[in-house]
Amino acid sequence: MMSFLEIVLRVAGWLVLAPLLPGIINKVKAWVAGRRGPPVLQLYYDLGRLWQKGVVLSTLASPGFIAGPAVTWVAIFGAAMLLPLGPAGAALSFRGDVLLLIYLLALARFCTTWAALETGSAFEGMGAAREVSYAVLSEAALITAVLTLSVHTGSVTLATMLEPAAGAGAALLGAGLFCVLLAENCRVPFDDPNTHLELTMIHEAMILDHSGPPLAAILHGAAMKLLFFALLLIEAVVPVGTLSPFAAAATLAASVLAVTVAVGLVESLLARLAFRRVPLLLTTAFLLCLFALLVAWKGGAA
Amino acid sequence: MTPGPLLLLAATTLVAGIVIGPRARSAWLANTLAGALALVAAAILILLGGPVWEWRSVFLIGGEPLHFRLDSLSALFLALVGVVGGASTAYAHEYWSDRDRPHSAPQGRRWSSAMLLSMVTLLLSANGLHFFIAWELFALSAYFLITLDRGRREVRAAGWLYLAASHAGTVCLFAFFAALASRTGSWELGPMREHAELAPLFWLALAGFGLKAGMFPLHIWLPSAHANAPSHVSALMSGVAIKMGIYGLVRFSGWLPVSAAAGWTVAGIGAVTALLGIAFAFAQNDFKRLLAYCSVENIGIILVGLGFALVAESQGASLSVWGRLALAGALLHVWNHGLFKSLLFFGAGSVLHTTGTREMSRLGGLWRAMPWTAGLFALGALAISGLPPLNGFVSEWLVYLGLLDAVTNHGSAAWAAMPAIIVLGTTGALALASFVKAGSMIFLGSPRTKPARLAHECGPWMRAPMLALALGCVAIGLAPAIFWPTVARAVGVWQPAWTGIDAPAPLFALGWVQLSLAALACAAVAALWWQARANGLRRALTWDCGYAVPTAHMQYTAGSFAGIGAGWFAWILQPERRLHRPRGLFPTDAIRLERIPETVLERVIGPVASVIMRVSTAVRRLQHGHLHYYIAYLLMGLSALGTFVALGSKP
Repeated sequence: MMSFLEIVLRVAGWLVLAPLLPGIINKVKAWVAGRRGPPVLQLYYDLGRLWQKGVVLSTLASPGFIAGPAVTWVAIFGAAMLLPLGPAGAALSFRGDVLLLIYLLALARFCTTWAALETGSAFEGMGAAREVSYAVLSEAALITAVLTLSVHTGSVTLATMLEPAAGAGAALLGAGLFCVLLAENCRVPFDDPNTHLELTMIHEAMILDHSGPPLAAILHGAAMKLLFFALLLIEAVVPVGTLSPFAAAATLAASVLAVTVAVGLVESLLARLAFRRVPLLLTTAFLLCLFALLVAWKGGAA
Repeated sequence: MTPGPLLLLAATTLVAGIVIGPRARSAWLANTLAGALALVAAAILILLGGPVWEWRSVFLIGGEPLHFRLDSLSALFLALVGVVGGASTAYAHEYWSDRDRPHSAPQGRRWSSAMLLSMVTLLLSANGLHFFIAWELFALSAYFLITLDRGRREVRAAGWLYLAASHAGTVCLFAFFAALASRTGSWELGPMREHAELAPLFWLALAGFGLKAGMFPLHIWLPSAHANAPSHVSALMSGVAIKMGIYGLVRFSGWLPVSAAAGWTVAGIGAVTALLGIAFAFAQNDFKRLLAYCSVENIGIILVGLGFALVAESQGASLSVWGRLALAGALLHVWNHGLFKSLLFFGAGSVLHTTGTREMSRLGGLWRAMPWTAGLFALGALAISGLPPLNGFVSEWLVYLGLLDAVTNHGSAAWAAMPAIIVLGTTGALALASFVKAGSMIFLGSPRTKPARLAHECGPWMRAPMLALALGCVAIGLAPAIFWPTVARAVGVWQPAWTGIDAPAPLFALGWVQLSLAALACAAVAALWWQARANGLRRALTWDCGYAVPTAHMQYTAGSFAGIGAGWFAWILQPERRLHRPRGLFPTDAIRLERIPETVLERVIGPVASVIMRVSTAVRRLQHGHLHYYIAYLLMGLSALGTFVALGSKP
């Protein structure tokens, strides 16, 4: 059983470290473009400012408009608590927790899109329609990745599944999960968080009308989700669970940094895909995970 | 206490309901609610571990003595009949009232008592003949309920389709029961797994019961029947009636020997049903048709669980314990789907009652006028999308866990379980998309038409059943371990090797997680609301990227919301589009209409039926009433026969 201190540390770590990632991505992008860019801690300032600000509610919005971001945040936080951190394990672990994890992400999606559609704006409608549709493919890819790990380790508990990583199929699985990471966190090439054209956005289009504390919850939740997917990707590829605590912590920190920089580089070097090509890339991600599954299956049978 | 007196009470009230229904409105309501309560109480007595209740009588019906039996498996379905039947009775009191429907409301009361009675008889019958008679009565009373509003042409068409399809299933079941009785020499039903020669009969049962359950591609009757029936009947049909098909499948797959191939087939059909059902649901613009197709999807999930349980059993029940989880998940999903689908149909009924339209794109912004309905519909939508911390997640989790265990066992079942898991995951994501679409198009944004602007909240008799069902969804979601023993007993009846009512340890953990998640979510909502209020809340026009006068018609519609996802399934959805582009310098109108046909019915069965009709019409010309032609036919036939014999007799 976890000690109280450990849980506090874990919660604090997730809450405090998550907003660092978007800052690093932006710094990388600025560096590639030869700009100085916003400070790495910019999101912290933004969150602090937004938390103090008043809220402008659409005249059409129901209480669900504020409840949506809150539940989204709780769902992502819950998923983060289920994710084991190398040898430290998860805050809570039980057989089948991996399914809860996937469905918590789905709950977050339901609440985000529901709150988006509260405003009755076509832009939010577009964003929500894209979000739920592309999620069908990325969820298929994610569940295939889970199956891969499950077949490889013969377990359905996240802590055991992530301990030895994916073995032979790790490269395939890593590539697939990286695509899912980009899609689920609405990064280039699936979505452009910085565009000025609402017609072409997914996530940013959905939160156009949010302001003040709900927007802070959304931004913090999105940062936690990015950290979550980065950690999931790393632990699926690198056998962090088998390392000593110190080495594991160092590996996790270095790999998260590497993934974040990679996201920043992808964002700097690639253009956003046309929307009709997005399903193709997501299907590719699904196929990558599927091949990893086949590799794991052959490895398991041998 | 035994369930006997309670069942007698329930039967008495339901028979009395058939008699007094048309005249005494309030008495019928009290009477039926009492009957429903008695049914639930009787079921609970068995589900809490009471001994199997048996009752034999010397009284003969159709030459067979009456024999009733209530075990955990039938009690599971009986409880559902009681809960949803009672809720639908209370709901109809206001929804289909004598004031609005002076002609059909009294008839509706009679037929709904008849339908409940026939379903109860069906569940209790331990005699094949009586089971079959109850089945037929149940099908007929459902027909009269579906066509209560038979002044409308599409209702009559839907009713006719239901009746025809239902009887196609009845033919299969007639063959099934007759063959069963002739092979075993008795109409008595019970475990007969040792008769290996009975195994092929399961295919007949699969066709007959599967048609009623709505498995793909035999679901053709379901969407139009559920959409056109009055909403309390839709709830009863979707929540309970199609579950009778599942009951038949579970019951007879537990009693009869079933080949391994049947298990694979059921699982495969289940996966296809789930995926295509939800694809059709996502593309619908009519919210009741959306709910109906979603029932097809949920039947698919139940069939996946049942199919893998059959596979596990054929591989040795004691070895493949994962089958137990899959079956338990499927049976719990029977309950869950009954609860949230009835809730959603009631919500849909409230909307239909006040706005008079089933087109989602003509609604919008109803939450302000009907906050209760909107909130409860949202809860139902969360539950049916299988999201934690509600009940839909618990049963899907059990099915998933069973399948994952099958995968990690590395047996032959793993090959089927892996695609099934991926299909279920995709289905879940599509279900979420469908219900975000339904909920938001109906209740969020601004009203798109006048009826939507003038909407009003439903009254207490419609609200109370919704609240009760929502409570059920929350209870199963937050305390799944409490409901486990009941499901585990039913699994034990199905396969004695899987008896054992200890809840799997993760179920307790899951319960606690769901509970703390719900608490945390409430706390977060409260905190965010409080902080927003403290900072100052201001209402303003939706920003809409600076557009100053957004109108309701600029909102996203149901069709555009589903556009991307429906495009991927265009090969099966076969959408019919009518496009009228704006032309000229001053275009006056532009139209884009889209209709999703019921592909199997309209593109497969329809053309085949029309060919048959054409051939029949052509052949019919031979019969015209001219006697001399008939004599000529006879002579021609005789001479042809003579020639045939003469040619054949030559060595």
